[in-house]
Amino acid sequence: MDHVTRTKWDRAAVVFDLIASYGPEKRWEAFKRDLFSNMGNGEILFVAVGTGLDVPCFPEGRTITGIDISQKMLDQATRRTNAYQGCLQLLQADVHDMPFGDAQFDQVFTSCTFCSVPSPVDGLKALKRVLKPHGELFMFEHTGSRFFPFRPMMDLMTLLTRKLGPEMNRQTVENVIAAGFTLKKVTHVYMDVVKTIHAVST
Amino acid sequence: METRPYFVLGDIVSNVGVGALIGVACAWLFPSGWNIVVTMIAGMIFGMVVSLPMAFLLSGLFGAMETLLPVMTTGMVAGMVVTMQSSLTTMRPEETARIGASCGLAVVIVTYLANAFIRRRATRWTT
Repeated sequence: MDHVTRTKWDRAAVVFDLIASYGPEKRWEAFKRDLFSNMGNGEILFVAVGTGLDVPCFPEGRTITGIDISQKMLDQATRRTNAYQGCLQLLQADVHDMPFGDAQFDQVFTSCTFCSVPSPVDGLKALKRVLKPHGELFMFEHTGSRFFPFRPMMDLMTLLTRKLGPEMNRQTVENVIAAGFTLKKVTHVYMDVVKTIHAVST
Repeated sequence: METRPYFVLGDIVSNVGVGALIGVACAWLFPSGWNIVVTMIAGMIFGMVVSLPMAFLLSGLFGAMETLLPVMTTGMVAGMVVTMQSSLTTMRPEETARIGASCGLAVVIVTYLANAFIRRRATRWTT
């Protein structure tokens, strides 16, 4: 397990809800509900469940395994996961080294995850490994922008945020393709920065 | 385009407020007599850097990227415009606050329009 990343998110767990639970969640709730409505009846992996902010947006009655690198994040998620009307199991795990067999899941979901995975293409390849052939990847992510002045701003922000939490200038769509997924659809939520990504393992 | 009153008002108040603060701070830091090009660049960088922590604080209330990017842009534009004017003539704090606040309002309008345009067009760049 990546101890540097785990320690970073253990520290962030204390203030995470204070920063992320109100404004960002209210802004994005409708888009997240729409994305998570794609959750099917098969085995679902949710990567980086964090403090469980996304759980209230999950459709009921699904079988979901939620992982996070930080046990302190998962401890905070308990209240929200206990309220979920379905089968939701939490597990501390690093996306680079998941304790799952090959082709175990039908779908993988992420939410603001790949801004924080240290080696994003390797992490996405790990998701491809645990997905069944033609399994689906659904992501809600913020990425870098191609436009001035946002691009240099996000580079500047990343210098500060990298040590404490996420990176702001990731090229996640390109990383999904580099990991060997076939892109099905990208929907833009805010500018070219916040987006949902639907890809298929081939 | 965002239409919920809480977020629309939040975007306006955040950007107008940060613009006014950056305006006052820039005029105080870069008074008249400085070279206009030097102060413009210094004000731009100062505004962007100082608005970053303010944007992080406001993002908890009004949304992450939807707050961070416009507020930092406001900081950059307000810093640039106010320092250019204050390098030419002595200005009162309320004048610099008004100019900074106007920059914030202009940035809100431009980013709303840019968001509508980019969301409509961006699909072709990424799929």
